[in-house]
Order: sequence, then C-alpha cells, then structure tokens
Amino acid sequence: MITEPRMPDPDGFYAALLAAHEGRSEAQSADLNARLVLLLANQCADQDVLLACIQAAAEEDLTTTNTP
Amino acid sequence: METFAFAPAYELPSWPFTPPPELNGTTVVRHPIVIVGAGPSGLTLACDLAQRGVHAVLLDEDDTVGVRGASSRGICYAQKSLEIFERLGIYERIAAKGITWSFGRTFSGEQEVYNFNLQANSVSKQPPFINLQQFYVEWFLVERILELGMTDVRWKSRLTRVEQLADGVRLDIETPAGSYTIEADRLIDATGANSPIRTQLGIEAHASRSTDRWCISDVRFRKPLPTERWTWVDAPFNEGRGVWQHLMADGVWRIDYQMPEDCDTAYISQPEVAGARLRQQLGPDVEFEFVWIGPYGYRDHLLDSFRHGHVFFIGDAAHVVSPFGARGGNSGIQDAANLGWKLALVAQGKAGDALLDSYDAERQPAAKQNLQVTSRSARFLAPRSPAEHTLRRAVVTLAARHPFARALVNTGRMSVANEYPAAPQLPEGGRSVQNLPLRWADGRETTLMQLLAEGTHCVGLWFAPTREQASAALEAAASLPLRLLAVGGNSGLPTLQADEQLASHLGIGDTGGFVLVRPDAYRAAVLAKPTPETIAAALRIALAHDNSNP
Repeated sequence: MITEPRMPDPDGFYAALLAAHEGRSEAQSADLNARLVLLLANQCADQDVLLACIQAAAEEDLTTTNTP
Repeated sequence: METFAFAPAYELPSWPFTPPPELNGTTVVRHPIVIVGAGPSGLTLACDLAQRGVHAVLLDEDDTVGVRGASSRGICYAQKSLEIFERLGIYERIAAKGITWSFGRTFSGEQEVYNFNLQANSVSKQPPFINLQQFYVEWFLVERILELGMTDVRWKSRLTRVEQLADGVRLDIETPAGSYTIEADRLIDATGANSPIRTQLGIEAHASRSTDRWCISDVRFRKPLPTERWTWVDAPFNEGRGVWQHLMADGVWRIDYQMPEDCDTAYISQPEVAGARLRQQLGPDVEFEFVWIGPYGYRDHLLDSFRHGHVFFIGDAAHVVSPFGARGGNSGIQDAANLGWKLALVAQGKAGDALLDSYDAERQPAAKQNLQVTSRSARFLAPRSPAEHTLRRAVVTLAARHPFARALVNTGRMSVANEYPAAPQLPEGGRSVQNLPLRWADGRETTLMQLLAEGTHCVGLWFAPTREQASAALEAAASLPLRLLAVGGNSGLPTLQADEQLASHLGIGDTGGFVLVRPDAYRAAVLAKPTPETIAAALRIALAHDNSNP
C-alpha cells in the first residue's frame, strides 16, 4: 500500500468527489461510495494492497469513534 | 382465493426387513466394515466397496429412499459425482432420468447481470451437472448394490449405542424383531447432519445456525423454459429476495424462495401461500401443480478430524455447508469415493492402516474449503446489515454494465472436485483427472473410468516407454496394485493412442513421461524421467506403505 502522495491534483480530485455527492441523500451517497470503492478496487487489482487498504481504513475507524 | 392442486404422490420403493442371524445368536459377531446410514454418501461407499468385491454391512433405520417423503432435496449432481457414478455403473440411468445442464444465469430485478457456461472447462465424458431428485439417485444406488450382491443391507435397523474398543467398535442395533449387538473392525458414520454416533462419542462439530430461511416448491407447469440454472439475487416477484429455479426429472421444477428471517415456516409453506408466490412469478395464465412444498433453514458444521480411532465420518455427519453451489451432497459422494478404495486395499491386505489416515488428510481440508466458499455465497445472499446491503446493491448495479463486477455476484460457486494439499501420500498435492475419452491402439474406445472400474488399482500412464523400461517396471511393481499402460510407442504394454487432450489434461506428454492416477481418479504423481524404481516408489508413497507393512 502506497501512502506517499501520488495524486497529481488532490484538490481537483476532492472537488470532483464532493460534486458527485452534491444533492444526494445519505443513502444515495452511501451507494455512490460503495460503487466507487468497487471501481477503484478493480483499478488496483492487487489483493495484498487491497487487503492492506481495507485494514488501514478499518483501523482508522477504531481510533476515532470514541473521540468526543 | 385460488386453490392449488397437488400431483399424485411419488410411489417410492421399499425393501423388506430380514431378521439378521445375530438376532438369535449367542456370540457377538465381528464384521470388517459396517456403514451406518443409507443416504447418498453411505450408499455410494457401499456401492464403491461392492464394485471392488468388498463386503460390508449397511444399516439404515428406514426401509426406503428419500427424506420427508419425495422432497427433491439434493438435486445438482456435479461432474466428479457423475464420474463416480459412471464407475459404479449407474451413470446411464442418472443421465437418462435427469436433466443435463451447464449454463447458469443470474438476475437482479428484471435484468440479467451474469451468466456462466461450465462446459467450457470440461474434457470429461460426463457433463458439468445433471439435476435429479435425490431419491432417484439413492434408489439407483440401492438397486445397484443389491445387484452386485456384496453388501449385507439391513433395513429398519437403528443404531442405539456405539462404543469404541481397543481394536474396533461395538454397536447395539434395534430392529422390529428385537435388538442385537455386533462389532466392527471399522465403522463408517454416514448418518447425516444429526449423527447420533458423533453425539455419543462426544465429538464437537462446531455447528452454527443461519437465520436465513427458504421455502422449496417442487412444481410441475407448462411454461417452456431452457434447462438452465436461473438465480435471482433480488426477485421482483419475491419481494426483492432471492429465488432459485432448476428443472429436474419428470418435468418437475425446483424453485427455492428466500423468505424473511422471522417468517412463520408453517405459514409460508401452505399451498395457498406458496401458490400465490408462484402465481406472481408465472402470471395469471400458467397452469401448475405442486409435487412437494417445504421450508428449510440451514446450518453448518465441520469436524476437526474425520477419523476417530476406528470410526470414520463421511458426508453430512462430517460436514454440513450452506446449500449454495451444490457442495453438500456432492462432497459426501466424493468422501465415499475417497474412502472406498482405501478401505478395499486395506481389506485385501495391499495397504496398511496409514492409508486410511489420508482420508481425513484429504477430505477434511476439502470440506473446510467448501465451508468457506459456501459461507461467502450465503453472506452475499443474506446481507446482515444496512452496510452489507449497500455493498451488494453496488455490486449488482455495476455488474449490469461492467464485467469486472460480475465476478463479485455470488449466487453460489458450483461444486468442484477439490484439490488436495501436499501430504506424505501426495507429495505434490493431488488434483482430479476428468473422465477423458480414450482409444486403445486398435481403435476401441475406452475412458479413464472404465480403466479404473474393475478391481482396485492405480493406473500408470507412460508416454512411449521402451520395451526394456516397460518390462523392468512391470517386474519392479509386480506385487503392487498397478495397471501399467502405455500411451503411444511400441512397448508391448496395453497401449492407448497418443492424444493431445490427454497429455495437456494430465500435465505431461513428452516421450518417457509418467503419470500415476489413483483409483479415485486423483493424480498422485508425475514423473518426467521415470525409472522402474521411481515408479514403484511413487506407488508405495501413494499407498502410504512404509517398511513395516505391505
């Protein structure tokens, strides 16, 4: 899993992501995110990297949920 | 309210209870092999042994086939099972009665999202699948067993107590004419998911029960549909839940409807309720009649070891998986075929007890793999949280447009002949060899299963050996159960025609190469440059011989 910055235009990517979510309900946003995850996973297509990304994302959740 | 008719009930065969001699005996008789349970795995084992000329006692508490009447139960018989049935002499009956298929389609809502054709990877004489009601398979097996005449089949005989002895097992058996006790050198438990033997011996099965609920409808109707496996992840005619649809023998369709977890199982199985569901699926004009309706939930369990002393667990007694992918009955049949030749060679004094340990070493990992595969299908089909529903919705939405997502749609990964891990008797691991069509040098047709059907031996396929090599190898393996055949060349051995498909399927083909195929059609060894000594050594390894036994 690569965690060093690689995206050529981070702000542009983030803006596009927000734009895609604009006007969607919470459920519709969740659907969009799920589709996006699957599409991106297929771009990566490296099982070890995918599992490392799943783990990294899941760990983040555990360290932040109890913060007031 | 519309009322729905039932077809006349199937008339299942029954066989007479014959009081066994032990009922009036004064001494406890010992039998070499006792099998308990005449379901698919117990019957396959008895038939496999009989085909090999090995006697066994088969006990069953019932006197007929089928479970809960003529429910269709296990309906999809996979290629490996069909190849086993070919070797046992009942394949033709199964093919004539059943429905051959290889094509499956998966739908979400009204849309097809995925399809597969299993024929693409097949080189076997047998098709990828035949659908047939389970009671027919049991019926054909019983008739074949009776025809072979090697098995002491004891109907209406219920095992009430089992005890491990130092050198065998003691069994108490209850019959309509009274109770008696026998002993067995080896006991095979094929009593199914609720095995009383397992319970009495205190063996942990690690069971877990699913909350997923289904209703089976076996139904006959006049609507021309292709003989394909159709599955809906979320059928509009079943309130967005799963539906399975298969054609079986006698024009009967098996349709499985996924039900709400908290459903009343008696209510959902009432003819009016099941009929209303079907009416919604088929539209107003289709005539149909029910053959059988019943609810089911499923569970899974897996024994840590399939052998406990003198007791061997096969089929559902050893493992139960969720039903998706037809990995239950088919793996029980494969358990039986794995154990059959090993028991036969031990009974004939051609292998030692160590060979029987390999049954557990091969079939327990196979069951573990089946459990993992089917659990993943079950989880796809019954999401447990809003997040799981969201992810599945994403998968099926994308699958309609993007091929990559179709690989994630999981309505069951169909049963395969599991590969076996590397072990002392299988140094490179083992994989199944399909029932290849073959030709003798003179043009006569044969198949791998025909080569394996008589007696109990490994088949050695040697690509164009010399005369000197062939006669030296015959001498080196003279005391071993080996049928040595040449593929091409002029060696003086019985010779098959060289054939590209054979070579590529076996994974070898260069002149001089050698492949050892076990009696269960698993590839045990590949030798690129064999000698008479390495051939004999490969055979001894496959049979788990050591210096102290044959």
